[in-house]
Amino acid sequence: MKSLWQPTLLAVVLSLAGCATTKKPVVALTGDIMVDGPNAIANGPARDRVLWQYRLAAAAMRQGKFDLAKQSLDDALLTLGGIFGKDPDAKKARSYFHAEAKKTFIGEPYERSMAYIYRGILYWMDGERDNARACFRSAEFEDGDAVQNQYAGDWVLPEYLDGLATTKLSGDGSDAFKRAQANAKGVKLPPYMPNANALFFVEFGPGPTKHATGQYKEELRFNTAASPVTSAELKVDSLRIPVAPTDDTGFQATTRGGRVMDHVLGNKAVFKSTTGAVGDVALIGGLTTAAASHDRTAQQVGLGIALAGLLSKVVSAATVPAADTRAWDNLPRYLSLASVPLSVGQHTATIQFLNSAGQVQTNLTKTITLNITTTDRDKVVFVSDTSVTPQTL
Amino acid sequence: MRTLLTKLALPIFAITITALVAGCATKGVKNPSGVPVTHMTADEQGFVAGTGMESQDLVMVADKMARSILGIPQIASAAAPPTIVLEPVDNQTRFPINKEIFLTRIRAQLNSKARGKVMFLARNQMEALEKERNRKREGQVTASADPTVQEFKGADYFLTGTLQGLSTRTKAGTSDYILYDFHLIDARTSVIVWEDSAEMKKQGLEDAAYR
Repeated sequence: MKSLWQPTLLAVVLSLAGCATTKKPVVALTGDIMVDGPNAIANGPARDRVLWQYRLAAAAMRQGKFDLAKQSLDDALLTLGGIFGKDPDAKKARSYFHAEAKKTFIGEPYERSMAYIYRGILYWMDGERDNARACFRSAEFEDGDAVQNQYAGDWVLPEYLDGLATTKLSGDGSDAFKRAQANAKGVKLPPYMPNANALFFVEFGPGPTKHATGQYKEELRFNTAASPVTSAELKVDSLRIPVAPTDDTGFQATTRGGRVMDHVLGNKAVFKSTTGAVGDVALIGGLTTAAASHDRTAQQVGLGIALAGLLSKVVSAATVPAADTRAWDNLPRYLSLASVPLSVGQHTATIQFLNSAGQVQTNLTKTITLNITTTDRDKVVFVSDTSVTPQTL
Repeated sequence: MRTLLTKLALPIFAITITALVAGCATKGVKNPSGVPVTHMTADEQGFVAGTGMESQDLVMVADKMARSILGIPQIASAAAPPTIVLEPVDNQTRFPINKEIFLTRIRAQLNSKARGKVMFLARNQMEALEKERNRKREGQVTASADPTVQEFKGADYFLTGTLQGLSTRTKAGTSDYILYDFHLIDARTSVIVWEDSAEMKKQGLEDAAYR
């Protein structure tokens, strides 16, 4: 007996020692994205880095910290642009025994598109209209493989901005305008004004979130809560410009259609269910046989079947079909744009956010002082209903 | 019973150790210790690749353009070295890029391979140059020549380019075609005296977990 326990104890100790090296980095969250973001990017799991970079970039833009937003998005887009070919984490996410959330997060197509839209706005702020246009084209491109063709590449603002940038670069933006207008069902887009040197990118409302349904949480679903803000109004000098939403991220999230990964998760769920059922049958049948029989051989067979059933149950329990519900959770619901020509000098712009009844949500009103130094370069203003106010640009 | 357990001791130990080692080996972490910094030449494709513009494309395109420019009579047979101003490249692709990098590479190649055959004007430094000239004119700093004489050269040619792309994304993957077009424009006549292009097509498919 002594000869059994000594090697067994050694094996257990070795096993536990091995487990000690598999600890995952845990990042304590404070609830302040400007603290949690950098901390999670630096110390959190590598697979969540892009998620935090997305979140940090959106928050930084709303606080006017555009350099931080650029840095976060540039790094995130590098990951996004280089995911081709073999990826051990993605392979793991497809395996029966790991959750989908094991893969490196790059987001669903609507999240990827939003990363490019934000980066495009930042390029435009820096006067790089063609790089901004490149980003808007990539934003549309990310949405290009929706299951139903009518929802493929159907963002309005990126298409509209593609044409506007082209027009401002002395090109012909009319094709992009037509595509944008075709996508903007029910909204009449303003024609391009090449002399409109002040561009107001406006976003409002809470964006979509993710949750999982199904017996094993294998089905990815999106929540789009009713937005307390449904439109906005821009006042600058003597102008009052209504700002209706051109894009709805909730619509983009829910119209992509089924993912290839959904089939993988479906298979995992079937496997988990089948192995569980087989385990139940084998366990009950085997134990019943062993208990009921007086024949030693039959008892051994029964116990063998029960053991096989137990193994099947273990395999079932280890199978993880859960969908990845990590989400870029500080996205806006609606996007829009307003553009006006402003002369050189100081101007004060006020953006009011309105609810579905057309009432101004006074606590959300933003004031921005614009210093226009030249009419040759666009003054790009980014305004969210959660932006800091007042701002001077 | 004791005999049976004694017999089983060695196999149990062996199986546990095997499982332990196997468990470690299948942790699934590729390159768990990382990959040390790998020196690569700029014209070779690394192990990190996307379908956008990369260093090997830049090197190939810039080298081709530099060789091509040197062969045209306006440069090769010019009585005096022509002066060239670089104008920003127009990026019409879906990839944001550092637009200066192509022209910087072409200029460096031309300056290196064709010493004296062409001259580039530092128009992007004009502000600093004008300030320095004004300091000389005001006597704040020394001057080796009469600072009142206009010596800033005018351009004989403008070198610029356009990057255009054609992208496709389907369930089968992503495909990006990029056309790199560069041209040299006579600043006096607006005639395009030279034009050359290079093209590249890349395709890839991401893991099913991302589709």
